[in-house]
Amino acid sequence: MTKKNVMSRLIKSIPAVAALVVAGGFAADAQQLAGGKSSAELRELVDSKLAGKTVAWMPTTLGFPLTDMWTHVMQQEAEQMGMTLDVRDPGWNPDTMVQIVNSLIADKPDVMIVHNFNVQLLAKQLKKAEEAGIHVVQVNMVSNYKTGAYVGADWGQIGRLVGEDVVQACGANSGSSGKVAVVQGDLTSAASIEQLAGFKEALAADPSINMVSEQDAAWDASKANTITATVLQQHPDLCATFGFWGTMQNGAAQAVKAAGKTDQVKVYASGEGNRQDCTNVDDGLFYKFLNYSAPKQGEAIMSAVSFMLQSGLAPTDIRMAHYSRPFWVTKDNVDSSMCFDVPG
Amino acid sequence: MTEASGPQSFMRSKDSLLSQEVIVMLVTLFLCVIFAVTLPGFATLGNLLTMSNSVAILGMLSLGMGVVVIGRGLDLSQITAMAVSAAIVCQMIGSGYPILVALLAGLAVALAIGIANGLIIAFIEIPALFTTLASGLLVYGIARITVLDGFISYIPNGNDAFLYLGQGRLFGIPFPVIVFIILAVLVHFMLSRTSVGRFIYAHGDNADTARLSGIPVRPLTVFEYCVSAVIGFLAGLVMAAMNASMNTQVINSTLIFDVILVVVLGGISLVGGRGSVWSVVVGAALIGTLLNGMIIMNLDSNLQSIIKGLVLLCAILLDNFLHPRNEETARQGD
Repeated sequence: MTKKNVMSRLIKSIPAVAALVVAGGFAADAQQLAGGKSSAELRELVDSKLAGKTVAWMPTTLGFPLTDMWTHVMQQEAEQMGMTLDVRDPGWNPDTMVQIVNSLIADKPDVMIVHNFNVQLLAKQLKKAEEAGIHVVQVNMVSNYKTGAYVGADWGQIGRLVGEDVVQACGANSGSSGKVAVVQGDLTSAASIEQLAGFKEALAADPSINMVSEQDAAWDASKANTITATVLQQHPDLCATFGFWGTMQNGAAQAVKAAGKTDQVKVYASGEGNRQDCTNVDDGLFYKFLNYSAPKQGEAIMSAVSFMLQSGLAPTDIRMAHYSRPFWVTKDNVDSSMCFDVPG
Repeated sequence: MTEASGPQSFMRSKDSLLSQEVIVMLVTLFLCVIFAVTLPGFATLGNLLTMSNSVAILGMLSLGMGVVVIGRGLDLSQITAMAVSAAIVCQMIGSGYPILVALLAGLAVALAIGIANGLIIAFIEIPALFTTLASGLLVYGIARITVLDGFISYIPNGNDAFLYLGQGRLFGIPFPVIVFIILAVLVHFMLSRTSVGRFIYAHGDNADTARLSGIPVRPLTVFEYCVSAVIGFLAGLVMAAMNASMNTQVINSTLIFDVILVVVLGGISLVGGRGSVWSVVVGAALIGTLLNGMIIMNLDSNLQSIIKGLVLLCAILLDNFLHPRNEETARQGD
């Protein structure tokens, strides 16, 4: 199933879901919310659905600005809604992730929020969790099994947007060599797979563009540095390099700088917009950065949780998504408000 | 052709012309020829320098590990020492401390790790494998909780003098390569021309005999692990300068195995008492060539891991074949 099919199906299902939610709300509580006291009654209704609920959250690992910021925002929103957020840190260890999800299924929180390391690892368990009555929200990196809600970037869109800019910068009329390199994250992660697909789709519009390297750097800046240094050696007339995560692409940018080619090679990255990402754009290390804003995603995640709980529907009856709106950060428009610092 | 395998030549009467170093050198040359013929752009000076640059850090770490392994030890905490001390330096520079203070702090941390390892292994006599495994985890955990803000510590802008260490060039040669060459010369000098070096070989060859001969084996052990940790610190500085940041997640990566691969591959047997700096250089050259070739061929990382694993397996088998087990040659892991 292509991204377009999935998206169109989801979009078509939104009115149906909205109707269900409304109907569910009415079915659950047959009172009319009208008149002077209706605001207070609405508040009571929502509080009764949300207060005291437990939300379990497992990122791929804590310790990176991306996940630390999500966690911070999610904690604030959970407090506002009267819910408890239970944070589990697997330390980037796939075995630990499996164990944590298993223990969560046994604990039965009301909602489980998961940041998938790759598309296969947790697919079976997420299905089990939903069948056990736990709402499951997936964040930014999906599993092959889609659950109640997905909140994160539309990777195909991200890849396409960057690809279109690369075509303009390095394509037929740009006067450059047309050579482009890609630094992937992890070959089995949704973020990598789908960004690459979107990127290639956009590049296909201009046959003069030649993708000379698609190596993966396992989300590590040091590997990205080594790969890019070697690619630059092989293709000194490289026009652009696109990395699937700003934190990783920082390494590639350093390789370009060490080779003295910052003016020639356009370094693109997508990411959550932590402080270093904006600093890199400001310093000229990144040519353009596509930002999907972790703080905004944190809020969207908790909104999805809130609506899922309020709907009163069973986890397997909900299928929805919120796709983050990406925006460009370039040297011309870069501003300190576009990026975040993790508090504390 | 006589092989360069350390000053213990009088003990190696069974060695033929084909020592491990020579075999690895031949394999490297063979690979270079194949890559030069099949891969465009491989056989250029620029690529050679890029290749050396990417393997310089691995080479430095292997020098430190080599010293420990020659003493029949093993230092699994070397990457922790590298990453934590370098991350502390980056973070202190970022917090506004003068560079010298930050460097001294990092060096102190590395020395502390080395001394702790050495003391536990020498005086409490816990095997090196377990000690360094545990100390690595402990130090990493403590550092993450107390000192470090998250996994990645960035070097802020305006520290170009420091970044020169990783990104600069002298006479066209990248600085990491120069640091590696200097370090290799120093370690070679220590191992082959000083009495401490001789003691390390004796320690590795037969620790009991060394002790009975009057060699201060326990302080020597502490010294060996300090060398490994401090060299780890230097390698960490170069890595931080190359990437303008230090990612402590490298501790969880396979880098430690790559280091042991280079050491064992090049001919520094896990048996101890054998090998030299030349072994490390030769091992690093093979791994560097392999890595460079695989990147140019655009092989995906899983395939690269498989190939590296096979090469490690062959190296250990070769090590076993050339140095068969007997009472004298108990080694790490036995």
